[in-house]
Amino acid sequence: MRGSGINQSEVFERVLRPHMERLYRLAFRLTRNKSEAEDLFQDVLTKTFGQLDDLLTVRDAGSWLNRVLYNRFIDNKRRYARQRLVTVAEANLPQQSIEALAGNSDPVRDIERLDNIMRLKSALDLLSDEHRTVILLHDIEGYKLSEIQKLTGDPIGTIKSRLHRARARLRELLQESGTFSGS
Amino acid sequence: MNCKTVNDKLDDYIDGALSTADTSTVSEHITHCGDCRSIVNAARKLQDLLKAYGDTDVPTATAAFYDSALLNASRNGTRAQHRNLWLKGFGSAVAAGMALWIVSGLFFKTPEVPAAAIPVVTIALEEPHTINLVFSSAIDLLDATLTVILPTGIEIAGFEGQRKISWETSLTAGRNVLRLRLIATSPQGGEILATLRHGDDDRSFRWQVNVI
Repeated sequence: MRGSGINQSEVFERVLRPHMERLYRLAFRLTRNKSEAEDLFQDVLTKTFGQLDDLLTVRDAGSWLNRVLYNRFIDNKRRYARQRLVTVAEANLPQQSIEALAGNSDPVRDIERLDNIMRLKSALDLLSDEHRTVILLHDIEGYKLSEIQKLTGDPIGTIKSRLHRARARLRELLQESGTFSGS
Repeated sequence: MNCKTVNDKLDDYIDGALSTADTSTVSEHITHCGDCRSIVNAARKLQDLLKAYGDTDVPTATAAFYDSALLNASRNGTRAQHRNLWLKGFGSAVAAGMALWIVSGLFFKTPEVPAAAIPVVTIALEEPHTINLVFSSAIDLLDATLTVILPTGIEIAGFEGQRKISWETSLTAGRNVLRLRLIATSPQGGEILATLRHGDDDRSFRWQVNVI
């Protein structure tokens, strides 16, 4: 910052850096689309830069940022009320994902596992947005119930109930598709 | 424990959030109840599958993407405040919080408010509190270094966990206001030392922070 005082951009970066990966993951989980996730992520950073003073006063910057992103996502969704959440097309899955799933230790088992993953993706698509979101955040991203509460503003009891129903519905869908046959 | 109760506790059981006693009771039940055992097995398989899906599904954002996003944000973000943390214009600074003074000397003007005793600031635990440091300089100062040393339990927002923070900075002739947001993370309080150095000359200022 030589000659330029205490630079706001540097402070912004210092605060943001530790949270960016998790913030991006949340953007992807919510949008389920890489380009939309990038747009949402950029949108939130741009908005947040103007609120640096507020960001500096919060004790938990990560939660604060996640909430800003979640609210932005909800606002965007409302703005395009008829636009359902975009489903990630198979072609859009990163190539390394498929390779990572396939592996080469046990081809038969790997193919079966990949097939199960695809069935899970289809089942997730059939859930309501609320149910899918709570599953993605809690069971996949590892958010605690209290963190989801901060994010969505919903009571813990509502979130627990939603999670219970979402899991039950997923099990049902996967059993119907034969994924869990023989359980 | 009956099947309905097991179903009610299923999520906590799978998540490992049940008490030891309840966990034992559910485990005991499912060894004898085929229906519940089947549900528990399916729930466990679902968790494994969700984890496998989560491990592989999110595309990795590149470092270049993050760098670009930060740059775009700072270029395009609506600035709600000054670009530089130094404020010009004393009135707004006073309105924003308590003003303190660092002053006098070869390159600093005589203090407008003499600091005969160490000033005391009282702040609430875990509640951010804005302090304005006012540096009055007779001339423009390039390449000055400001160092703030904090006691244990007092932090500056944005620099959590750091006891000594230094900036290379510049001052313009007149009043330069640095706004710091203090947060007390423990009730013990302590003394803060701020030192402004330019060449071989420096000025230090201390103040006491009490926490309630």
